[in-house]
Amino acid sequence: MAYWEMIFYWVALIVYSLSCGGFLYSFIFKNPRVMPKLTALFMVGFLAHTVAIIARFNATGHLPWSGHYEYALMGGWFILGATLWVGWRNKQLQGLAVATLPLVIIMMGYGYMQHPGLTPKAASLKTIWLYIHVYFAWLAFGAYSLAMAAGVLFLKKQKDSLNPVPNETYARFPSLEHLDELIFRYVVFGFITDTIMMAAGALWAKDLWGGYWNWDPVETWSLISWLTYGILIHLRVTFGWKEKRLAWLAICALSTVIICFFGVNLVVNTSLHMFQVR
Amino acid sequence: MLKKMLKSLRSLRFTIVLISLLGCMFIIGLWVPQKDLLRDIYFQWQASSPKLVAFLDFFQLTSIYTSWVTLTLWAFFFINLSLVMWLRIPVMMKRIEMPLARIADPEAAPGYPFRGNYPLPASMDRAAVIKGLAGSGYAVISNDLAFYGVKNRLSPLASGLFHLSFFLILVGGLVSVYSEFIGYIDLAQGEPFAGELSRYNQKPPPKMPKIGSPPHAAFTIQSVVPQVVRNTPVGISVKLVDPQGAVHEVGINSPYTTEHSSFVFKHLGVAPLFTLTDPSGREVGGSYFKLDVVNGKEDGFRLGDFTFKAYFFPDFEQKDGIKRTKTMEFNNPTFYLIAERAGQKVAEGIVPKLGSLDFLGYRLQMREMPYWVRFYVIKQRGLAIVYSGFAIASIAVIWRLIFFRREILGAVREKDGVPCLLVAGRSEYYKKLAEDEFALLFGKLVGQTPQR
Repeated sequence: MAYWEMIFYWVALIVYSLSCGGFLYSFIFKNPRVMPKLTALFMVGFLAHTVAIIARFNATGHLPWSGHYEYALMGGWFILGATLWVGWRNKQLQGLAVATLPLVIIMMGYGYMQHPGLTPKAASLKTIWLYIHVYFAWLAFGAYSLAMAAGVLFLKKQKDSLNPVPNETYARFPSLEHLDELIFRYVVFGFITDTIMMAAGALWAKDLWGGYWNWDPVETWSLISWLTYGILIHLRVTFGWKEKRLAWLAICALSTVIICFFGVNLVVNTSLHMFQVR
Repeated sequence: MLKKMLKSLRSLRFTIVLISLLGCMFIIGLWVPQKDLLRDIYFQWQASSPKLVAFLDFFQLTSIYTSWVTLTLWAFFFINLSLVMWLRIPVMMKRIEMPLARIADPEAAPGYPFRGNYPLPASMDRAAVIKGLAGSGYAVISNDLAFYGVKNRLSPLASGLFHLSFFLILVGGLVSVYSEFIGYIDLAQGEPFAGELSRYNQKPPPKMPKIGSPPHAAFTIQSVVPQVVRNTPVGISVKLVDPQGAVHEVGINSPYTTEHSSFVFKHLGVAPLFTLTDPSGREVGGSYFKLDVVNGKEDGFRLGDFTFKAYFFPDFEQKDGIKRTKTMEFNNPTFYLIAERAGQKVAEGIVPKLGSLDFLGYRLQMREMPYWVRFYVIKQRGLAIVYSGFAIASIAVIWRLIFFRREILGAVREKDGVPCLLVAGRSEYYKKLAEDEFALLFGKLVGQTPQR
């Protein structure tokens, strides 16, 4: 890790942890007033996170695109950037951070334990397809994470609505109907970017490995993930699955994406997607 | 009976079952080493657990992606898809039509969750409203009483395109599999190649195409320049000269492509020219040896009466008696050789680039140290069909899911003596979010907030 990268990485992690604790407090102790302040704190962490990425870029000469640490660094940035973006566009969605922050904190903690060393860009990654493929992969991961977060909020809000004295915090969020549609909208966005990611990856694979589809473990899991979200969309559009069932599906389906990004290379050391960086 | 079977075959439930089963097969394929994908691991595993591997082989679990179970599931998947598509075509066509019968009373028409009533400003009439809607991307039809508008009318066609892309990928995939030649070939700097089949590596043996011929490429390797920074390979430049004298550069991510064939760089090795002279100074042998030693592997060669075990250090240093490489950069390429005769070790020593090893009066000398490269050679047809499939799938998904349909019904009527725009709206996929969108649209159109 570069010197400034290390400092800002830890600053980001600490600030994220503080704001995550704050979001949990506001939910559990029914204090919604602190949420704008927590969002401001979260933004400070995001700035530090951005500086850490810039510092790494400055040290290596390339964006962090490969290896578990860089997946966590850049993937976390996309997920939290998306959370801040939707929270900025619609204040009612600031609370999505209560689900995305813990996910990213765990990802970043795990990434730090892997391979944070500075490495030059491997030859296999020197192609324009990398940017297209990875950019759309992170957009998909970000969107699916937001769908998961909206699913968590939906379930919590729905459960709370049955209480005789509802939690004020949930009143800050969009209505259940809006949340239900937002879950679907995020899944749709993720599915589109996922599709482009897979098509771009196949074209890249033809030049790099000689075949557009190699049944590599990461490829296979990305296909499983894509099919899972495809089924989710069909269930919603054709069978009318919504609300609680859709929320649970959005939460559970994220596991396929996490396995694809982190899980496969953890248990299988034969993946072509390691790119000699681990 | 047939009707019932067809109904089951085209059901979404059946699709989900098929996808789930295919997912299970893929998961098994991740855990069980596959014969065609991980040959070395598979053979090692077969040697250590012959009974287990034979058992898994019997059930085709070691070639799961081409097993009859997987192929049957894929066949059912495409039967299911074809039936669904066949039934969907008339539905799609009906949805994009705009008959006058779609015009209905916005106050009473069922299935429109959004309703609004906007007092019209004096400067606006029905024609202005319709013009405004057309300006917002709505195709509008009207009669004397009301109008009907639809945005993204052709969007349902994208569903058909998306599913069509599956067929293109399948057809392209089949063509590419049946016309596929796959082989590996090791070529050293200065070595010519004229497309001879016998020159391909026999382990694994080349996969011959069922349709078409093997590649007809011919070239000579002009140079090989690897680039490594510390322990990371950051590039390689392999220059090929074809019979017309044109130079082609192969790198990682940029194969040499000619006549549907690609020569993809896969592996780098060193091919030193060693000569052996006996105690009288007479040369007893000499040759280029393609040694697969770059990643710390052991390889060997035979010269005269001797066999040599070879270890390679690209950036050699000896520290505290331990031989090692500082980095993977080719700064100080050095061999460590062990000479044996009749199975007995007779000498050992280091041989730097262009250096020599003296033993028992013999001298082993390295005259040159060029590199060799392994190419993965693949010839396929039908790729254009597959790529069209990818492109159509991406376009169709964007079209269908972002540019989805919004339908509105509207009429201008007097309410309490005031001309009002009465509207009803609905959208695919979204209800609440579309209500916000409609409220914004009509509010903007008439310059007012709705009375709902």
